[in-house]
Amino acid sequence: MVGLGKMGIVHSCTLNVLPNVEIVAVCEKSGMIRRFSKKIFKEVSIVDDVAKLAEFDLDAAFVTTPIPSHFSVTKALYANNVVRNVFVEKTLADNFEQASELTKLASRSEGVNMVGYLRRFYVTFRKARDLLLQKAIGTPSSFGGYAYSADFCDGRGVSEALVSRGGILRDLGCYAIDLSLWFFGELHLSQVKTSTRGDQSDSVKFEVEGSNGLVGYLEASPFMPDYRMPEIGFLIKGSEGEIVVNDDRVELRPVEGKGSTWYRHDLDDRVPFCLGLPEYYREDALFVDSVMKKQAAEPDFGMAARVDDLIGQIEQGGRNG
Amino acid sequence: MADRTDKLLLVGDNPFHNISHLSQDRTKLRDRSVVDPSYAAGLVMTSLDNGANGFMFSVSETTLSILERVRNAERIEDLSLFAIVPYAYEYVRLAAQTGGIVGLAKVFSKQLASSGSFRAIASGASGLLGANPVSLLKTYLAYEIGRIKSSAGKHAKIESVLLHEIVVDMALALNLDWLFKAYIDFVIKHEYTPGFNTCNFPYLVDKFNGWGIDPAKVIIAAPFNRIGFEMNPSREECERALKGLSEPCLIAISILAAGYLRPDDAMEYIASLPNVKGAAVGVSKEKHARETFRLFNSKF
Repeated sequence: MVGLGKMGIVHSCTLNVLPNVEIVAVCEKSGMIRRFSKKIFKEVSIVDDVAKLAEFDLDAAFVTTPIPSHFSVTKALYANNVVRNVFVEKTLADNFEQASELTKLASRSEGVNMVGYLRRFYVTFRKARDLLLQKAIGTPSSFGGYAYSADFCDGRGVSEALVSRGGILRDLGCYAIDLSLWFFGELHLSQVKTSTRGDQSDSVKFEVEGSNGLVGYLEASPFMPDYRMPEIGFLIKGSEGEIVVNDDRVELRPVEGKGSTWYRHDLDDRVPFCLGLPEYYREDALFVDSVMKKQAAEPDFGMAARVDDLIGQIEQGGRNG
Repeated sequence: MADRTDKLLLVGDNPFHNISHLSQDRTKLRDRSVVDPSYAAGLVMTSLDNGANGFMFSVSETTLSILERVRNAERIEDLSLFAIVPYAYEYVRLAAQTGGIVGLAKVFSKQLASSGSFRAIASGASGLLGANPVSLLKTYLAYEIGRIKSSAGKHAKIESVLLHEIVVDMALALNLDWLFKAYIDFVIKHEYTPGFNTCNFPYLVDKFNGWGIDPAKVIIAAPFNRIGFEMNPSREECERALKGLSEPCLIAISILAAGYLRPDDAMEYIASLPNVKGAAVGVSKEKHARETFRLFNSKF
């Protein structure tokens, strides 16, 4: 486990309850966290440098450092032959060039690689994707999506913290982008609009185009007071109906016939061990299972690089006005 | 005042924090008055009048304000308090705003320093410098208990201090038996019942049995409802673990499955379970408070 912040702790705990998994070593930059980690992870080696992990003969590594360091840490893991199987928390990197380089390194390593786009493991988004694959609304023609939170509504610590988390798009918007790519395949950026609060963007809005004339509109903002919990949602329109989906529910509204609504309650949302959200278990279990079976996991670095590519284009589009 | 029963009928605080585990959309449709501490305190007192006998709450500025109002209305002695710490949402949000766990530690240190308690400051500093999780835990608990007492007053009946599910489930996952034992010792020393909020009830019971902690001597707050919502790994496993307890220690939460079930359906299921010490349910309207607790009082 490289990086023992919030996500590092969540993954450590989840991995520790999975069968066939043993946490062997933790790499953490902060001296204070390293000192506490030695008390908490009593049988785990704690180091301060990624290169030092090479001595442990590891099967897999999790990179859960802040986004700006994903590239250097992951590159070091491959370069030092620490490990072949790597999980990186979202986003894969800080830009598309870095993400592409990591994708190449991962491919050369011939190991399993995966990026932590947790929303793919929500039962509601899985149900929505199944409905799309079943053509429940015919051919999708347009969609609107959002990634909202109230994280910075009180204005506290906006600039520094948001930058350390990679900005609005990498912190939260990336989930909506990843889901859009998962739902609809290739998308191309067509227009970008941003609004600002002081010297900080407070929302990013952009339009994309897909195949068969599909158009999409997405918005991301951490300044939405009604979103106590971060939330991703979509309204998808097709030739034969609509799907409304968010973190909590999926609604199918066919043009003809009766509609249906499913909450998490209806979609068997339970897991063997739940830490805050059941999705963490599903995500880590999939990665571990893929490593054990030596088979590809999704979303892999290549898929995640497409998210970084779109984010880069949106940021560039925003700067160009 | 309502008759006391052996069972605990607790008012839950989720609506007062504008939380719905059914969907966030639902909270946007709610009347915002429910997050006003005066209105919420009124709901707590109406619930008391209709059969509730306690309040289960996360320790936050909102719930502390509610307690102050109940105290001012001279009803605090009618209320058994079940306090859940930490209010995880606020700390997770603070961590996001302050750049992570180190930033959060700095903010908490400042809060502790401003509490004015020399003992807490000394103990906290010692815990930080010595990287001693138990010392920090005790400092934190003392700080939170102090906040509750300050708002609820010296006549308040704090029955139990429960660790929030995030802390409990993390500690379970990491096999931190020493942390559970230190917590239990500390809370018992302060003459409260140690409590644990978990989303993994069978896992906790199994671990406690393995560590020599008698689950019947503590309070466990865990989801139990007819449709198995949030009952990990399954409703059947949770029921089996509950049946295996030697004494009632469960406070059932999520009994309405976040509003998915009707109260009479929900109550019928809970009443059929063994070893249930009580149940907590949130209410957001006067009418709900009256009907729900009357029903529970009659059926439980």
